[in-house]
Amino acid sequence: MTPRSHRASGAVAATDVETEIQRVGQALAEAFPSKRGNPLKAIDNRAMDLAAKDAELRAALFRFVDVVPACRSLDDLAGHLTGLLDEVDTPPPPLRAAVRMGDTKAGRKALGAAGAAGVRHMAHRFIVGEDPAAAVPSLNKLWRDGIAASVDLLGEATVTAAEADRYATRCAEALETLAAAYGRMDEQPLLEADALGPLPRANLSVKVSALTPLLRPEAPERGQRDAAPRLRELLRHAARLGAHLHIDMESLDSREAILELVLDILAEPEFAAGPSAGIVLQAYLRDSPQTLDTILDWARNSERRLPLVVRLVKGAYWDHEVVEARQHGWSVPVFERKADCDLNFEELTTRLLEERPLVRVAIASHNLRSVSHAVARNRALGGRDDDVEFQILRGLGDDLGHALAAHGLRVRAYCPVGDLVAGMAYLVRRLLENTANESFLHEQASGVPLARLLAAPGTEP
Amino acid sequence: MSLALAPFANEPVLELRRATERAKLAVGLGELVLPVRVPVWIGSDRRAGEQLVSTDPGRPERVVALAARAAPADADAAVAAARAAFPSWAATPVEDRAAALLRAAAWMRERRAALAALAVRECAKPWPEADADVCEAIDFLEFYARGALELATGAPLLQVPGERNELQYAPRGVCAVIAPWNFPIAIPTGMTAAALAVGNTVVLKPAEQAPGCGLRVVEALRAGGVPAAAISLLPGEGDVGAALAGHRDVATIAFTGSGPVGLELLRTAADVAPGARQLTRVVAEMGGKNCVIVDSDADLDEAVPAIVESAFGYAGQKCSAAARVLVHEALHDTLVERLAGAVQGLEVGPADAFATDVPPLIEQAAQTRVLRYAAIAAEQGQLALAGAHDVRADGWYVAPVIATHLPADSRVLREEIFGPLLTVEAVRVVDEACDRVDELAVALTGGLFSRNPRTVRRVIARSPVGNLYVNRATTGAMVGRQPFGGNRLSGTGTKAGGHDYLRHFVEPRVVTENTVRHGLVV
Repeated sequence: MTPRSHRASGAVAATDVETEIQRVGQALAEAFPSKRGNPLKAIDNRAMDLAAKDAELRAALFRFVDVVPACRSLDDLAGHLTGLLDEVDTPPPPLRAAVRMGDTKAGRKALGAAGAAGVRHMAHRFIVGEDPAAAVPSLNKLWRDGIAASVDLLGEATVTAAEADRYATRCAEALETLAAAYGRMDEQPLLEADALGPLPRANLSVKVSALTPLLRPEAPERGQRDAAPRLRELLRHAARLGAHLHIDMESLDSREAILELVLDILAEPEFAAGPSAGIVLQAYLRDSPQTLDTILDWARNSERRLPLVVRLVKGAYWDHEVVEARQHGWSVPVFERKADCDLNFEELTTRLLEERPLVRVAIASHNLRSVSHAVARNRALGGRDDDVEFQILRGLGDDLGHALAAHGLRVRAYCPVGDLVAGMAYLVRRLLENTANESFLHEQASGVPLARLLAAPGTEP
Repeated sequence: MSLALAPFANEPVLELRRATERAKLAVGLGELVLPVRVPVWIGSDRRAGEQLVSTDPGRPERVVALAARAAPADADAAVAAARAAFPSWAATPVEDRAAALLRAAAWMRERRAALAALAVRECAKPWPEADADVCEAIDFLEFYARGALELATGAPLLQVPGERNELQYAPRGVCAVIAPWNFPIAIPTGMTAAALAVGNTVVLKPAEQAPGCGLRVVEALRAGGVPAAAISLLPGEGDVGAALAGHRDVATIAFTGSGPVGLELLRTAADVAPGARQLTRVVAEMGGKNCVIVDSDADLDEAVPAIVESAFGYAGQKCSAAARVLVHEALHDTLVERLAGAVQGLEVGPADAFATDVPPLIEQAAQTRVLRYAAIAAEQGQLALAGAHDVRADGWYVAPVIATHLPADSRVLREEIFGPLLTVEAVRVVDEACDRVDELAVALTGGLFSRNPRTVRRVIARSPVGNLYVNRATTGAMVGRQPFGGNRLSGTGTKAGGHDYLRHFVEPRVVTENTVRHGLVV
């Protein structure tokens, strides 16, 4: 694939999009740093391999990861580990040995230390630092490699107003740290502008559920009312610092609250000139096309001069949505077949790309097919390669990120920042998500041929 | 008639996170015509009256229902009617009885918004809970209809050549249902449906605070095809309940309510009335003092919201509500701080506002009682949040209370308060928490937050409660999923919404037939 950082004179004909997808996908696959292999393999942990094969073991290990920060001593930690392994019917030999170690005090101490080290090691793959300042060297390195970042501050759940205030303060401080750090970095033209104009270097992702303890599914206005002042203050701060603020989407319980809040506030005259801001569209939701209608209607009527950035994701709460719907007897709001979700992702990609310059488009996926489709579709529509952004998760999508960057595409890594306690929920979610059998990364790791990975959703190559 | 039914599934609650669903309930409220006029309704005989008045706890000047007040003599008439109706209802094929309950469920399903709206007005149930109450009523009808069909197949017995052994369950007779106001549609429906499903006839006395909801239950059952005399309605007060309980022709009392009333009913029932021809059985669900244990490895991000929901949902007026938290000392201060912060954000307000977390209490006496306990708690211990809420004066509102550092013998730690008051105590280890739970005479629900499977197993082994919830809220039991009921002085150990509940409404009869004639098995 030839890097095309400028509008291709002969844009790819729409009928040839499928051919182009295959070409892009193969080129990207070739650019994967083969030595590092798949990120799941790189988590050099035999337990992870075992976990993907054995549901009970997987549950035990993830429950262990989840409880590590709450343990008060190595002894306590070992007690939890052996207690959880008790639940596994037929533990593999190394773990049987671990359970036996739990029989003595010295053994428990060693086991606890090993368990804690293992979890810390895993966490550091996904979490770039304990706080934004500590994350700067990693962000710097990414930038030099041609990869921008969006920093996400991990934290405990917000259940009180004081916690919401603390989170808002941390966000404000993070914006300053990031603005200062990115101000010192060298120019990276691809990361700093698209056809619509300049792009902020500093970029922070925030969660409305952390900005208010009052998100109530049946009363969205309560969370909106409570979060609004904190969100406005952060937007003002971002505007002053020339930073981008991205508001994450969470489970469906809070979608109405978050979407309305963000669109309402961004429509306020105060924010007409900035800052750059964005929201998230979750392709796994069956009604995501209608949500996109809402977003586009808003954008058409908006006085804002900066286009809203729409980050298209698959969505990270699939299990939660399915479980909640099943427990309540509701129709499941997410696609249950991966192919349906992938197809919707492509359709939303196309619509978003077609609606530019009303919105800026960020495609956040580790699925090589979805990413290749976005590259190819953009070209077919006559777009420049730098008119679409690709986003990956630090620790999982690094190889794809580097491959995209190597091909002159703009990449942004979503970089969680926080301590181990705060990071655990995030870590567990990422691990669960990516050892799921249908996960793209899992398929890739288990040697599914490239042709199948690149096949159009629902078809066989 | 044969009845082919799909397996039981819970009636789905409304998906209130969607604005379109919330709008449906608002319509239901708009269409509600008040006051509801509730007769004493014995068979087809309706006697109207206005002696009993139920009002909106959030606006007491709004009359929700005007009911005739049943007198003890009405209890006699209702029991006589039920007794007369018993033989034919008992002889009605179980499929037909089940079909009547299913039609009653359908009647309610068609009126979900209207029924929920009535519960909002009459009992100040906030919308999600009012909707869930109607769903639970439908669940009971559907569940017991199926249960009765199953029970009608009897129970297998050992068979040897030359004899045929058969065990069948027969209805017991007249059942007096004495219902509470806190699940004003679900609980009367559940107790009544259980009794009817297996062939008993019923006299229902709804709570005096909720006669309007009680009327709807009877309307549903009669609309479904239960004969009028098989289900009578006696709106009234304690004297009517007592008259029913002491009646010699009442075979079964199904009661849900306070401990003192329940114990009184048990005493009355134990005293065989002159002329009585059977022992009165009591199925009783009474109060609790429900404890939630929080171990040092608990995830407070989940424990805090779950405890808040358990303790303050419906202002703590559920028998399953959490009353005491027993927390590992290492987490005590953090937990109290986070609980207090979370509770500070709760909205105390009218039940018809979707934003309300803590509605008003059912009546003025309840408000007075809870405030009295809050005063004792303030005097004996510390309040973790004081003056955080300005509560309205136009209803029976009480601000939520969290009390700590109470002496071990404090009444606040022993007595059921039935309001938005939660206590927190530190324990050194989980076993100490188990000891404190074990000291109580009541054992309804309990909670545990721990991420160590061994701790979970240990607490399960030591827990006396009827319903233990691990790493979740202690409220919200679902029919068929969490059969509900307490042990010790909390109840007769009967599980509403469970597979053995119907057995308490029947008596087993065994028939053994000799099939040998002239040395031959015939």
